[in-house]
Amino acid sequence: MKTNLLRSIVLPLALLCFGFAQAQSTVSGVVSDQNGPLPGANVVVKGTTNGTQTDFDGNYELTNVPDGATLVFSYVSFKTKEVPLNGQTTLNITLEEDTQSLEEVVVVGYGTQNKKEITTAVSSVKAEDFIQGGARSPMDLIQGKVAGLNITKTQGNNPNSDSSIQLRGVSSLSGDIAPLIVIDGIPGGDLDLLQQDDIASIDVLKDGSAAAIYGTRGNAGVILITTKKGRTGKTVTEYNTYIQSEFVDKKPDYLSASEFRDLIDQGVISADQDFGHSTDLYDELLNKSNLSQYHNLSMSGGSESTTFRASVFFNDAKGLPKQNSREQFGGRFSINHKALDDKLTIQSNLAANFINANLLGGGTGDFEQAIQRNPTAPLYNEDGTFYETEAYNNYNPLHRLADRIYERQEEVFSGDIRLSLEVAKGLNASVFGSYVRTNYNDRIFRSKNDWDQRESTEYQGTAYAKKFNHLDWSKTLEATLDYQTTIAEVHDIGAIIGYSYQYSTAEEFSADNSGFTTDGFLDWNLGAGTGITDTSLPRPELYSFKDDNTLVGFFGRVNYGFADKYFAQFVLRREGSSRFGDNHKWGNFPAASVGWAISEENFMQDIQAISLLKLRAGYGVTGNQGIPNYQSLTTLSDGGVYPQGGVYYQTYGAARNANPNLKWEEKHEINLGLDFGLLQNRLSGSIDVYQRKTKDLLYNYSAQQPGFVRGSIFTNVGELENKGIEVVLSAIPISSENFQWNIDFTGSYQSNELSKLSDENFQANWLEFGGLPSPGNLGNAIRLEEGGSVGNFYGKRFAGFTDEGKWLFYKADGSTASASEMNENDLSVIGNGVPKYNASLGNRFTYKNFDLTIFFRGKFAYDILNTKDLYFGNKKWLPNNLLKSAVTKHNQLDDDPQYSDYYIESGDFVKLDNVTLGYNVPLESRYLESMRIYVTGKNLATFTGYSGIDPELQDTGFTTGIDGRDFYPRTKTWTLGFNFRF
Amino acid sequence: MKKHLYSIQSFVIAGLLLFTGACTDLDESVYSDLKKENFFNDKTEVLQAALRPFTHMQAWLAPTGANGYYYHSALSADQVAWAQKGKHGYDGGDHFRQHYHTWTSNEGRMRGAWELMWTGVGYVNGAIEDISALENPQDIGMSQEEINSILAELYVLRAFHYMKIMDLWGNVPIVTENAQSTPINPETKPRAEVFAFIQSELEQYVPQLPKYSEELIGRTTQTAGYAILAELYLNAEEWSGTAMWDECIAACDMIIEGQAGGLNGAPQLADDLLATFSNTNQTASESLYQIAYSRKGGFTFNWGGFYMGYGNMSRALDVGYSGWNAFSVIPSAFDAYAENDLRKEQWFLFGPQYEYGTEIPILGTEEYNEEPLIYVNSIRRESEGDLSSDGSMAEGEENSGARFDKYKSGTSDDENYWENHYIIYRLTEIYFNKAEAIMRKNGGVANQEAVDLINATKERAFDEADWPSVMYTTATLTMDELLAERGREFIFEGKRRTDLIRFGEFTTGSWWDKQPDGDPNKKLYPIPSNQIANNPNLKQNPGY
Repeated sequence: MKTNLLRSIVLPLALLCFGFAQAQSTVSGVVSDQNGPLPGANVVVKGTTNGTQTDFDGNYELTNVPDGATLVFSYVSFKTKEVPLNGQTTLNITLEEDTQSLEEVVVVGYGTQNKKEITTAVSSVKAEDFIQGGARSPMDLIQGKVAGLNITKTQGNNPNSDSSIQLRGVSSLSGDIAPLIVIDGIPGGDLDLLQQDDIASIDVLKDGSAAAIYGTRGNAGVILITTKKGRTGKTVTEYNTYIQSEFVDKKPDYLSASEFRDLIDQGVISADQDFGHSTDLYDELLNKSNLSQYHNLSMSGGSESTTFRASVFFNDAKGLPKQNSREQFGGRFSINHKALDDKLTIQSNLAANFINANLLGGGTGDFEQAIQRNPTAPLYNEDGTFYETEAYNNYNPLHRLADRIYERQEEVFSGDIRLSLEVAKGLNASVFGSYVRTNYNDRIFRSKNDWDQRESTEYQGTAYAKKFNHLDWSKTLEATLDYQTTIAEVHDIGAIIGYSYQYSTAEEFSADNSGFTTDGFLDWNLGAGTGITDTSLPRPELYSFKDDNTLVGFFGRVNYGFADKYFAQFVLRREGSSRFGDNHKWGNFPAASVGWAISEENFMQDIQAISLLKLRAGYGVTGNQGIPNYQSLTTLSDGGVYPQGGVYYQTYGAARNANPNLKWEEKHEINLGLDFGLLQNRLSGSIDVYQRKTKDLLYNYSAQQPGFVRGSIFTNVGELENKGIEVVLSAIPISSENFQWNIDFTGSYQSNELSKLSDENFQANWLEFGGLPSPGNLGNAIRLEEGGSVGNFYGKRFAGFTDEGKWLFYKADGSTASASEMNENDLSVIGNGVPKYNASLGNRFTYKNFDLTIFFRGKFAYDILNTKDLYFGNKKWLPNNLLKSAVTKHNQLDDDPQYSDYYIESGDFVKLDNVTLGYNVPLESRYLESMRIYVTGKNLATFTGYSGIDPELQDTGFTTGIDGRDFYPRTKTWTLGFNFRF
Repeated sequence: MKKHLYSIQSFVIAGLLLFTGACTDLDESVYSDLKKENFFNDKTEVLQAALRPFTHMQAWLAPTGANGYYYHSALSADQVAWAQKGKHGYDGGDHFRQHYHTWTSNEGRMRGAWELMWTGVGYVNGAIEDISALENPQDIGMSQEEINSILAELYVLRAFHYMKIMDLWGNVPIVTENAQSTPINPETKPRAEVFAFIQSELEQYVPQLPKYSEELIGRTTQTAGYAILAELYLNAEEWSGTAMWDECIAACDMIIEGQAGGLNGAPQLADDLLATFSNTNQTASESLYQIAYSRKGGFTFNWGGFYMGYGNMSRALDVGYSGWNAFSVIPSAFDAYAENDLRKEQWFLFGPQYEYGTEIPILGTEEYNEEPLIYVNSIRRESEGDLSSDGSMAEGEENSGARFDKYKSGTSDDENYWENHYIIYRLTEIYFNKAEAIMRKNGGVANQEAVDLINATKERAFDEADWPSVMYTTATLTMDELLAERGREFIFEGKRRTDLIRFGEFTTGSWWDKQPDGDPNKKLYPIPSNQIANNPNLKQNPGY
C-alpha cells in the first residue's frame, strides 16, 4: 500500500504498462552511486506495480519477481537503469548521475516538470554548472550562464552592493525591473539568505507563458532558486571553504606628484599649487592585504520517513578599499517528513543570516577624490592631524575613514512550512505558509574631529550621531490542489489550482542629534547631545514611517502531453493588488504554450544524426505591480511648518493627484523556441526568439496644469517593445576515458524601444536620465523619447575646436557655434549605452582528476560616455589634479567641460571572466570521502578599445553606459578553495 | 485510519475555503499620510490646510533656489546675472538665455516655474474646496465668520498667484477647482480677462480680510491685500490696456493711512537700511506681507543657493551655510549707486573678503585657489589678464561681481541667527507705487507729493551731510530717474522684470552683455511646450 502510493507520485511512468505473472522468485541487492550506497532508490519490476525502495544502506529485496522480468532502478536526478534478470537473484546496481539535460527536472513555479515536457522559455542552471570561486551574491553564480539574463556588478566586487539583474531588456519605467526571486516557493525571497553551497539549482522563467503563473509579478521574469535538501541514507557531512583576495585591475591614469610638478615647470599649472609633498591617495585608500574567508559546514541525511539538511556558514568578505567589509554568519535547516502512511508530507525550511557590514569605506566619492586631489598636497599636517585641501568639492577621505562610523547590522530570517496531503490517487492538497523578515540598524557617527563638524560649521565643533532602523516582513499563505494522471497510456495530464495571499509591510525609524561635546559615547547615547535644546545647532530630525500592501491571487495550470510528442500548457492567474486603483483592483493573466518533439515522430527515427528536435511556442500575459504604495489614493501629506499666531505647526496638502484608475503594467510576449541535440547530443542547444510589448507603463507623467493640483500623476500610459534572440549551444568536442572538453556558449541580441509615451490625457515629452554632476550642471546625458531606443545619449555634436581651443558644436541648421549659443533644438541622439549583443563562452577541460574552466564574457554594440575624461581630462579642472589625457589626448582643449559626442566611445569588450583549475584528490580514506582543491581567478583580462578603466558599466534600467566620475575600483579576484566530503 | 485521513482532508479543504473567502480584501491602510476624512477636526487642522500654500509659495516667490518666479524675474532683467564662472554655472546655457532673452518654449527651468506656480494655485483651490465643504463649523469649534475669514484669505492668495502667473505668461486659463483623475483641459483666456478675474476677486475679498497685526504675521491680511491691489492697478495699463492710477493711489492710501492695520500700529518706514531685512525683521515696521520663516521653527529662509559663495565664504560671515556662488551683480547695476549711497556699502559684499571679525583673508578655491578672494565689479577673465573688457556671460570667475548682502542672517552664535522673514511687500514700495501713479497721471512729471514720497525713502541711504545734494526735486525726479531709484531700492527683491516692462525698457533697453532684442513678444514668456502638448486648449503666446 505504502510503496504503491509513493510510486504513483514519484514514478508515474512506471505505471504505463501492466505485466502478468510467471514463475516467481526473490531478488535482492545493493543500489549505490559513485559515492556509495544509495538509500531510497526505487526498484520496480518493469510493467508491474511490484516495487520497493532501498533501505538505509542501499539494500533492497523484491519478492514475487517473474523469472523473465526486467527490474527498473530509478532515483531522482539519476539515470534510470533497466536490467533484465536473466535468472539472477542478486543484482548490485550502480546508478549514474543524470547529466542528460533531457531528463532534467526543471522548476517552473508551483511545481516541477521534466525538461522534455517544457513548452516555455525556461533556463535551468544546476549547482555543478555554477560559476566557480567565491560569489558575493547568489546571482554571481549564473552571471553569463543564462542567455538574455543580464547580471551586472556596477560596484565591482564591493561586498556590500548587489548585482543589478534584468531579463530580456528593461520592462518597466517605474516599476520593478529585476526578476521576481522565489526561494523554495517563497515569492519575494531575500538573496541574503542564500550561500553558494546551499543552492541546488537556479531556474529562470524567461517568457510570458512561463511567468504568467506569477501574474502581476511576472513582467521582469522569475528566478526560482531551490536549495539543497537531505536524502535518505547515511549522513553526509560537507565542508566547503575558500580564501579570496582582491587586486586592482586597472588604476586610473591621473598625474603623479612628479608629473604634476613637471607641468608646473612647463607653466601649465601655476607654481603656487605645489604643496611640497608627494602622495598617492588612491593607494592610501586601499586595503591591499585584504583577505576574505568563507566556511560552510553542512550535514544531510535521514531515515525513510524523515530527511534533513542543516548548514551553517561564516563569511568574512573584505573589499579592496579600506573599511569596506561584510561579515556574516547564519544557517539553513530543512526537514522533510512523511506521515500517515506517506500520505502526508511535511516540509519545512528555516534560514537566518546575521550581517555586520562596514559601509564607511568604498564610498564612490572617495575614489573621485583620489583622482582629483592635488598629489603634492600632504594627507596629514605635521602634527599628525589630517590635512584638508579646500578646492571645490574636495575632502580628505582618509579623514572621514578615521573619524566616522557607518555600520549596518542586519538580520534576515525566513521560515516556511508546507503540508501536502494525498487526498486520492494523483490528487494532492497542499498548504504553504512562509514568513520572511529583514531588519537592520544603521550606526552613523561623525567625531568632533571630523572636518564637517569643525568649529566654523553649524555644528560648532561638536560630534554628530544618528540611528536608523528598518524592519520589513512579509507573510505568505498559499493553498494548492494538484492532480496528475495518465489516461490510456498516452495522455499525460497535470493540473493545479491555487490561492495565494501575501502581505508585506515596512517600518522605519530614525533619530539624530548633534552637540556631543565628547566622542566617548559614539552613537550610543543620543540624548547626551545638546542639539535638541541648543537652537544654534542644526535641528535634530526624527522620522518614522510605515506602509503595507496586500496581494491576492487565484491561479491554475493545466499541462497536457500526448505520447511524449505533443505538449500543451495553459495558465491563468487572477490577481489583485492593494496598490491598484479602485477601478482596477483585479487583473487576469493568461498564457498558453505548445511543444512538438519532432524527433519523437516516426519519420525522424531513421535520422541518426538528430537525437532531439523540439519546437516550442508560447504566448503569455503578465503584469507588474512593483510600484510604491498608495499611489492611487487621495491623501494629505505634510508640507513644512508655518506659524499660527507665532507657533510653527505642520501644514497639510494634497500628497499627489489621486488616480483611481491606476493599474498594473501589462506585458504580452510571444516566444518561439527550438531545442536540438545532434550526434548523440554531442552538440545540443536551443534558440529562442521573443517579442514583448509592455503597455500601460506606469510613470509620473506630467499632469496638465492648471487643472491638476500637483504637477505629475502616476498613471498608465507608455509602451515598451523588446525583441531579441537567444542562442545556447553546448558541445563536447572530445570525450575519451581520461579527457573531456565541454564548450558552452550563450549569446543574445536585444533591442528595446519606447514605442509610446503619451495618450489622449497624459504625456511626457521625453524622460531624461543620467544627470551629469556639478560643476556646470551639464544636464542629463540620456533621453528616452517616444519612438526612440532605450539608452540613447542625447546631447551636443562636437564640431571641432577654435584656434584658442574653445569648443565648437553643430547647431541644428548645420552651422557651428560656441557652447553659449546652443539651445534645446541643437541637441540630438549621439550614441546608445545598451549593449545589443551579450555573449559568453565557457570551456571545461577534464583530465583524470583535473578540471580546468576558462570562461569568457562579452558585450557588444554599445557606447560609453566617459565622464572621467569629460571632467578630469580637461586642464580647466585645475587646480584639482587631472587625468594624463588632459595634457595628451585632449591637450588642444582649453575650455570648460561640456557634454557632447566628443566623449562618447565604443564600449565593446571581451573579458576573461573566470579561470578555475580544480583537482579532485584521489582518496582511500575511511573518513574522508572526497576532497577537491581549486584555484579561481576572476576578471583576469579585458579586451576592449575603450580608453577608460572598465567598459562593463550599468546596462540595466535606463541609466546605461555612463562611466561615472566617482567609482568603486574594479578588481581581479583570486580564490583558493577546498571542498571536503565526509 | 481512513477516518482519520478524511478528517484531516476535510480540515485542509475547509481551511482553504476559509482563507479564500476571507482574504480577498485589498483595501489600503494608510499610516504615514493623512486621509482627508480623518482631518479638519478643529481650527488648528483647518488652518494647517489653509497654510499649506504658504510653505509652497516661498519656493517660487522667494530667492530660495528653485526655478520659479524669482529666478526668471531676476535673471531676465538688468541687475543680477548668473554668469558662467569657469567650469561652474554653464547649466545647459539656461542663464545665458535668460540674460540674452533667447529662451525657447522648451526651457526646463520655465517648465519648473509653471509647475510650481500652478501647484500653488492647486493647493489654494484644494484648501478652498475642503474648507468650504465644512458644513457645520460649530461642530469643530469654529464660527462661520472664522471660516469666511480664512476663505477670504485663500481667495486673495489665489488672486495673488494669478497676478504673478499673469505677469510671466499673460494669457492663461482661469481655474478655480482641481481636476479629479481626468483632465479638464481648461482653455487659455486673454490677459485682460485674467486681469478682470483677479481684480474682481481682490476687490470682493480684500475688504473682508482681517487687518494686519502681530497675531497674523505671515498671513494674507488687508495690508497684503491692498499692496497686491496697488501692484495690480499700477501695472493695469500694461496688463489690461486700461490705466488705473487713481485706484492705485487709493489702494496705497489705505495702507499709508493705517486703515489696513500693521505691525505695532500703522506701517512706518524703517529708520535705517537694515532693519527690514535683519534677523529680527519679523515685526519690521515696514512689513505688509511676509513669508514667516524661522530657522528655529524648522523653516529657514535659505537664500544661500542663489546668493552665497562656496564654503570658503561661510567664514567671512561666520555662518553655517554656503551656496552655489551663483548670482552676481551686473557691473552697471552696481555702478548705479553713488559712492556716498549707504546702500552700496550695506547691501553688498564687495572687495577683499576676510574671515569674520579678523584681517585674515578668505582664500579662493578656483581661479584664485589659495589666493585672497576679492569681489570685483566686473565679470571677465581677470585671472587670465583681461582687465579691460566688458566681459560676458561666459567669462565669469569665482570673484566676479559684487554680491548680495541685503538680508543678513547674523553670525551663527547670534540668538536670532537666520530667523529672517522674507518681505514680499514693504511700505517703501507703496510709496514708490503711489509716487509713480501720481507722476504717470501727471504726464510723467513729478509733483511735490511724489518727490516727498520718494525722498522719504531715499533719505535713509545718505548721511545728513550728503543728503541736500542728492535729494530729489520735481525737476530731478524724472521717470528715468524713478526707474533707476526703484532699481537701487529694490535690488534683489525680485521685482525688476515687471518694472522694466512697465517702463518700456525690458525689450528695448541694453545693459552689460545684453543687446536690445526689440521683440515686444519677449515681455511674455512662452507657455511651456510640454503643457501645450498636454492640454490642447492652451494657446501659445504670440511670437513663440
